[in-house]
Amino acid sequence: MRFLARLGAPVREFLVFLGDQAHLVAQTVRFGLKLRLDQLGTVAGQIRLQIRFTGLQAFLLVCGTALLLGAVTLIQAFTQLSGLGAKSYIGLLMVLIILRELGPLLTAVLVIGRSATAIAAELGTMQLNGEVDALAAHGVNPYQYLLLPRWIGVLVAVFALVVFFDTSALAGGFLVAHFKEGVTLGVYMDSVRDALVNRDLLATLLKVFLFSSAITFHACRHGLAIRRSQTEVPQAVTRTVVSALVAVFLVDGLVAAFLYA
Amino acid sequence: MIQVDDLSLDAPDGRPLQQGLHLHLEPGGSLLLLGSGGCGKSQFLRVLAGTVPPRTGRVRIAGVQTWPGEGALALAGRVRTGFVFAQGGLLSNQTLRDNVALPLRFAGTSPGETRARAEAALERFGLLSVADLRPHAVSASQRKLANVARVEALQPEVLLVDDPLEGVEAGDHARVIGWLRDWIQDAARTLVVGLEEPGDFGDLPVRRLHLSPIAPAEEPR
Repeated sequence: MRFLARLGAPVREFLVFLGDQAHLVAQTVRFGLKLRLDQLGTVAGQIRLQIRFTGLQAFLLVCGTALLLGAVTLIQAFTQLSGLGAKSYIGLLMVLIILRELGPLLTAVLVIGRSATAIAAELGTMQLNGEVDALAAHGVNPYQYLLLPRWIGVLVAVFALVVFFDTSALAGGFLVAHFKEGVTLGVYMDSVRDALVNRDLLATLLKVFLFSSAITFHACRHGLAIRRSQTEVPQAVTRTVVSALVAVFLVDGLVAAFLYA
Repeated sequence: MIQVDDLSLDAPDGRPLQQGLHLHLEPGGSLLLLGSGGCGKSQFLRVLAGTVPPRTGRVRIAGVQTWPGEGALALAGRVRTGFVFAQGGLLSNQTLRDNVALPLRFAGTSPGETRARAEAALERFGLLSVADLRPHAVSASQRKLANVARVEALQPEVLLVDDPLEGVEAGDHARVIGWLRDWIQDAARTLVVGLEEPGDFGDLPVRRLHLSPIAPAEEPR
């Protein structure tokens, strides 16, 4: 029996975790819909802070990474596939590799590394200091003041970062295509446009929404679960990174399976 | 205003603190919650505030059931409550001024009135000169006074105070005691104050509830 209990413990923990996540999402939506007009200004201030931290302050990092990735993708393509007419596939390669997959995925990974960790640590410290209790005890609903702004802020920031990631990666690819193979901007953009389908826009929007939600609620759940000591903060941060990464890769696979399989 | 039936409390580590607590406090009534350290006063106040669930029992504040239920979330927007914490309780990423003003802003008070009330409360407790500093940059005594200023500005219908003089410098004792005595005598407020001994409030004609490690006993008025 003890062996069976030990075997079932991780499954039970996982189910409890899923239940907690569903509860957080449901409560945030429920109280978000109950926000009064006179509370919007206060919540909007928190959303602005989250967008600034997650989006604006990560802008250069994301654009730099994407520029290099776009360039490296076409350098490798031209080097490895030169005999197969890589030049005629540049648009398809950029759409398949960057816009469809790596753009949203790498942006989410960077946001997990920068922002999800910060959210988990911040909420965990607030919980330990009694700040979350203090908010609730004075009529400030933590779902409205803490969770909703973080969710919306991360959502807006991830959407903007994915747009800039894709743009920068295309720019990096174009620089290589132009200087290595003499491809003009018109030819390059036509090639990309031909490879794009409407489903790509839908997939990107779906991924942005699901990735942002997974990142935010994993971070919030692990941060708010801290109860006893400061030593739990780094543990919560580590758990956030691991579980958010797993969730994001899982969602990515599911979206690809549903939309492209 | 506060109705507690058959309440049992546990410490955060799961140790039983109290059981079978009953309390009925009328609107405008005040209660001194007395007992030695570790008997569960703070936990009882947190249960009343709706931030910690009890092990068993029922709590209603102004007719709104908080336990079993959603705790403080059930009160938001319906009953204005305030809590003076024994320690901590201020948002560390905001100035004292913003800490005092936040509950007012969230309650829908106009920006002008919020500013005026926060300013007046900060001035009353001598915090205007440090109002634009964050909690880590001021003394522990000033942090406690900021807790008091927050409820002074909010003017809650139900006020819970955990050890009002803990961490307050001796020079500010009279200020806090005077403020709390005013509130206890204000018929529009319902107060529960957690203290080890009645001390400076011993002469006030208020109800008292003594918490001993397990068996509670309520003294007559």
